Amino acid sequence: MGKTTVASAFALSCAKRGMKTLLMQVNAKDRIGAIFNQDPIGEEMVELGPNLYCVNSTPASAMREYALMTLKIKIIYRAVFENKIVQSFLNAIPGISELVLLGKAYYHAAVEKRGKKRRWDIVVLDAPATGHGIFLLKIPSVVTSIIESGHMFEEAERMKAMLEDPEFTSVNIVTLLEDLPINESKMLSETLQEELNIAVDYIFANKVLSNPFTEEEENTLHRLEDSDTLLDSLFQSARFHGARVASQKKYADILKEKIDCFTIEIPYFFDGADRAEQIEKISKIISTQLNQTGEVE
Amino acid sequence: MSVSTSGKLAELVSRKRVIICVGSGGVGKTTTSAIIALQEAKRGKKVIVLTIDPAKRLANALGLASFTGKAQKVELEMEGELWAMMLDMKACFDEVVVRYAPPESRDEILSNRIYEYFSTSLAGTQEYAASERLYQLYESGEYDLIVLDTPPTTHALDFLEAPNRLGDAVNSRALQWLYKPTVFAGKKGLGVFSMGTTYVVRILSKLTGAQLLEEFSTFLSAFSTLFDGLQERGKAVRDLLSRDESTFIVVSTPDPLTLKEAAFFYEKLGKDQNTVGAFVINRVHDFGIDDEDLRRPIVNISTKLDTQFENPRSVAQKLVDIASKYSTLKKQDFRAMKDLKNNVSGDVPIVYMPYFDRDIHNAEGLERARLELFDKEKRI
Repeated sequence: MGKTTVASAFALSCAKRGMKTLLMQVNAKDRIGAIFNQDPIGEEMVELGPNLYCVNSTPASAMREYALMTLKIKIIYRAVFENKIVQSFLNAIPGISELVLLGKAYYHAAVEKRGKKRRWDIVVLDAPATGHGIFLLKIPSVVTSIIESGHMFEEAERMKAMLEDPEFTSVNIVTLLEDLPINESKMLSETLQEELNIAVDYIFANKVLSNPFTEEEENTLHRLEDSDTLLDSLFQSARFHGARVASQKKYADILKEKIDCFTIEIPYFFDGADRAEQIEKISKIISTQLNQTGEVE
Repeated sequence: MSVSTSGKLAELVSRKRVIICVGSGGVGKTTTSAIIALQEAKRGKKVIVLTIDPAKRLANALGLASFTGKAQKVELEMEGELWAMMLDMKACFDEVVVRYAPPESRDEILSNRIYEYFSTSLAGTQEYAASERLYQLYESGEYDLIVLDTPPTTHALDFLEAPNRLGDAVNSRALQWLYKPTVFAGKKGLGVFSMGTTYVVRILSKLTGAQLLEEFSTFLSAFSTLFDGLQERGKAVRDLLSRDESTFIVVSTPDPLTLKEAAFFYEKLGKDQNTVGAFVINRVHDFGIDDEDLRRPIVNISTKLDTQFENPRSVAQKLVDIASKYSTLKKQDFRAMKDLKNNVSGDVPIVYMPYFDRDIHNAEGLERARLELFDKEKRI
C-alpha cells in the first residue's frame, strides 16, 4: 500500500509545519533510512532533518528500555533479563512484543520531557499491516481484560486511555483505489472506531493516476481503429491508462461511500526516481491538502 | 471440451494432488489459486480451493454469494467439479483442541481467556489451522486436487514450520520451568535459576504483575496436553508436503521488493528439493513503445491523427508521454523478472500474467484469466 512512504511523508510534513516529530518503526526491516538516503536506522534514535527524528524499535530493545525504567537497577536487569531462558520465556508470552512496542510509543508521546515541556509534539507510528496493526492497538484492552492488577495492568490502562482519546491519538489509513484494499480499509476503520474506540482521521489513497486526455479525446481514442503498429501501441497504452483511471475513480467513489473521512490523494510516481525527492513532493501535497480543509491547527 | 495441457504450468498442475500457493500479501494469490482450481476442474477433476481470504468479488465471479467455512459447489458448466471453502480459523482451531486434548483439559482450554484471545493470533496459529484443514481434506479422499491459498506471511517458512513452532513454544525449557516448576528443581548449571526460581519469578512479576504470570502458566499447562497430538499431525503434514504429489507455487507481482520476497520463499522452501514447482507473476506491464519510436518527431504521429482530433499535436504528445511511461514500467518489470530467473533453477518455470485493465468480476473474466495463464502461457 505504501504505508512506510506515506508515514514518512506525513512525518516530514509535520516537521515542516514546525512540530517536533518522532517517526517510529516497530519490529520492521528498516526502510526509512533508505528513503531519506541515510544508513539503516536501528534502535538508536537518529536525526533525519530539522524537527524530524526516527527510531526503529524491536521488541527486545523496547523490553530492555521498559525493564530498566521499571526496575531501575541495571545489575538486576542483567542477571534476570539477559538470561537466555528468561528471554525465551518472555518471547513466548503472546502479545508481549506488541505491548512493549506500544509502551515505547506511549512513553515518547506522553511521558518523555525536555525541561518542562514534552519532548515531542507528535509521534508518527508506521504500524504493521491491517491484521497485525489491529492486534497492536488491541493489546492494551486484551491485557486489561485478562488481569486486574499489577504493573503491566496499570501500564495497559494508561495506554488504552491514550489510544481512546481522540485529542491524543488518531489513526490514518493508507489504501489503494482497488477492490481488496478498500474493503480491508473499511473493515479496519470499523474495527478501530466501533470495537476499539479509536478515532480515524484521514484516509490516504496512494498511487492515484490522473488522465491527461479530455473526455472527448478519450471517447475518440476508444472509437479509433488502429491503422498501424506505432499507433496501435500508443493507443494500447492510452486505453489501458484510461481504464485504470476509470477503475480508480469508481473505487474512490465507493471509498467515500464506505468510510466517512477526509481522503488525501497521493499521485502515482511512474519513474522510480529519487525516493527522498518523492517524499518531499508527497509531504507538500499532504500539507496543501490539509491546509485546504482548514484542518491544520 | 478440450483444455490445453501443453504449457509447463498446465503440465505441472495436471499431475498434482495438493497445490499450495504462497506469496506476500496483495499479489493475487487467491485469484491465482481459483484459476488453477478452475483449470483442473475443466479437465474433469473434482477440485477444491481452500482460501483464507473472504475475497467477495472472486466468490461472486464464481457465482457464490460469499466463501464460507463449508465446502460449496460452484455451479459453472464444466467437465469436473469445482468446490470452494474458506478457512474458519477459530472453528478449525477449536476442532484441534477437541481432537487432541484429553477430555479433562478440553473445557479448561476452550474457556481459558488467553486461549480465547490468542488462539487466532498466536505466532503460527493461522498457518497451523490452514495446514490442519488441508490435511483433513486430503485424508477424506473426496477430492482429486486441493488448491490451498495460504495466509500472507512475511516469514517464508511460517507455513511449513507452524506445527513445530507451536510445539516448540509450548515445549521450551523456559516454559516448562513456569508451568512445571519441579522440572528444574535441584538441577545445576542453569545460571540464574540456581539463584532460585522464586527470585526470578519475583523480579518478573514486578514487571508483569503476578496475575499475568499465573494466568499464562495455567493456559500453558492446559495447552501442553495438546502437544503430542500437534507434533504427530505436524509430522504428517510435512510428510505430505514433501511428497511428489504436492507442489508449491510462488505467486508475486513484478515489484522488485515483492520479487525479492518471492526469491526468498524459493530459497527457504528448499530449492534443491524441487519443492517449488513454478512461479506465477501477476500484473506485469507488457506493452509500451520502442525507444526508437519515442525519438521520432511528434509531427509524424500528429499527422496520422489529423482527421480525428481537434488538437492532434497535443493528443500526439500526450499519447507519447503515456506510452513512454508504460515502456519504463515494462522495462522495470522485465528487468526484475530476469533477476529472479537468474536466481532460480532452469527447470522451474516463471510464468507471467499481463496487467488486466479491469478487475475479474464474473465467470468470463475468470475464464479469460485462465486462458492467459494456461493456454497462452508466457514465460520469462
